[in-house]
Amino acid sequence: MALPQLTDEKIKVKTEEHSSLKGTLASVFLLGFFLIFTWVGVYFLFLDRL
Amino acid sequence: MHMHKFEKIWLFFGIGSLFVFLTVIGVSAFAQGNQPPSCLTTIDPEKVDQTPPFNKPGLVKTGDNEYQLNIVASAFAYTPSQIEIPKGAKVTINVTTKDVIHGFEMVGTNVNMMVEPGYVNSFTKTFNEVGEFTILCNEYCGAGHHLMTAKVKVVDKQ
Repeated sequence: MALPQLTDEKIKVKTEEHSSLKGTLASVFLLGFFLIFTWVGVYFLFLDRL
Repeated sequence: MHMHKFEKIWLFFGIGSLFVFLTVIGVSAFAQGNQPPSCLTTIDPEKVDQTPPFNKPGLVKTGDNEYQLNIVASAFAYTPSQIEIPKGAKVTINVTTKDVIHGFEMVGTNVNMMVEPGYVNSFTKTFNEVGEFTILCNEYCGAGHHLMTAKVKVVDKQ
């Protein structure tokens, strides 16, 4: 009797994780675009000074 | 292993950007030859004044529109400190130091080297525009560090 209860709980936790990754995705891409922007900026500064 | 769809997206994006960066740097370095300053030549730091070409520092013509600029850095000056370069010249700058570590930065250009005793640092640059550049020391070298400068004038050839 205890086993089905346990699996039910696990599934609940998993679905919560799924729905909470949107903010993570947004912040990862925000950081990613910031890194790309600064990298490209520095690289073009280097090319401009050649 | 279970992986969320978003995780796959940012992993792909992150690793992808890394490869884009490496490709751009690789093409720039090996196909176009944009290399950092070389420091493969060694010199006895106590005999800089007797070792050519640093026994007669300055601008030397080595070919058609090609020059060598030999500069000795010491506390707290560059020798020579006033340099004139004809416009359009391709100049290989060789710098070495007699005493401590100095910096060699030509403000507003990619010429930026750490000058270490015992080594000759080289960088090649073509000066396509008339103007004035300040060379300054960007490695703290002692009490007179902030006074350590030199001037380069790029002038129109007559």
